[in-house]
Amino acid sequence: MSKTSFNIIYVIAGIFVLSATAFKVFQPIQVLPRMRLAPAYQFINQDGQALTSETLRGHFALYSFTYTHCPEPCYNSSDTIQEIQSRLGEVNLGSIPVSFVSISVDPDRDTPEVLKEYGEAQNADFTQWYFATTSNKSLLKTIVGAGFETYYEDKGNGEFALDPGFVLVDGWGIIRSEYRYTTEVSDADRILRHLGVLAEEVQNSTGSAKLAYEAAHLFLCYAP
Amino acid sequence: MSTQKMHIDRYERNWMIVSAVLLVLFASAVSVAAFGMGIQVPAPEQRVNPNTVATDPNSPWSNPGLREVAPGKYDAYILAHAIPNWEYLPKEISVPVGSTVSFYVTSPDVQHGFKVQNTNANFMVIPGQVSKLTVTFDEPGTYNYICTEYCGSGHGVMYGAITVTP
Repeated sequence: MSKTSFNIIYVIAGIFVLSATAFKVFQPIQVLPRMRLAPAYQFINQDGQALTSETLRGHFALYSFTYTHCPEPCYNSSDTIQEIQSRLGEVNLGSIPVSFVSISVDPDRDTPEVLKEYGEAQNADFTQWYFATTSNKSLLKTIVGAGFETYYEDKGNGEFALDPGFVLVDGWGIIRSEYRYTTEVSDADRILRHLGVLAEEVQNSTGSAKLAYEAAHLFLCYAP
Repeated sequence: MSTQKMHIDRYERNWMIVSAVLLVLFASAVSVAAFGMGIQVPAPEQRVNPNTVATDPNSPWSNPGLREVAPGKYDAYILAHAIPNWEYLPKEISVPVGSTVSFYVTSPDVQHGFKVQNTNANFMVIPGQVSKLTVTFDEPGTYNYICTEYCGSGHGVMYGAITVTP
């Protein structure tokens, strides 16, 4: 091989390495990680109807965990969801619907009627905000604990030990983000920003742009 | 520019070849580990407020300890603090053999380290940030966790232990 063709190979390799580095450093595209599969479930919602993981395919679903008898001061995930629900217009979601699912960890007391009353008190829009649980307690623990990796435990005195948190699942049923503890940025701000990032990826990641989005996943260009 | 070839001693040439091969080997090993096997360095996970992280009732570190999220699957929220006396909270953890434990560690005061002996868990604990790493304990025994970053006069006595029961 001649010396010129060697030089060309070096130049091409150099451009490749430089552009990969620039992509990682400047992060023109940010995505949310594909963490793991969300669990499949079948719950009963506040209207006594079935709510399954399949119902929410194609939706962005934000899961939270609570119980209505939580004594004050109680971490109230509903405040955050109310705020997100009212500020959803700030995010360009295209035509992708967003659903909120508040899973009760206390199926003995949280019957559909109680959940409905609780939802009404939270000004919930029941067309996109579901309150759900299942009376099968070991299944509930498996779904919430093993599936959503959120801890709760019945203390036996009517109270539950519960680590408050949110889990964001995309339309394919893949967990894309977790919010386990209060951070410096408010949960509502972060979740709204992440919904925007997710919607952008779903809408733009087609054709050759898909390669750029896959590169962002490969180089761990994750939105903060 | 001279077209004459530079003379390189045979041993020197071999040495250069070995160095170049090593570089390529290491670069591919890192790439395979990162992209193929999904191994990640324990990067700080999220930012929290160090002034309230140990006292806020909604913060898991106000009640640090082990939580069983599912059979054989645990979250360990550990607070590493230098004030008042250099220690980890909790000091002792016990899990059955075969358990997978995710450590979430943060500090309300100064920088600490967190190393679980005989595992490859070893990371910095930075005030205001949460470090996370997941370890599966397949052998019974006692695994000490020790502070690996100098954090003050009590640094040497800052340790805790995980007991893996058979």
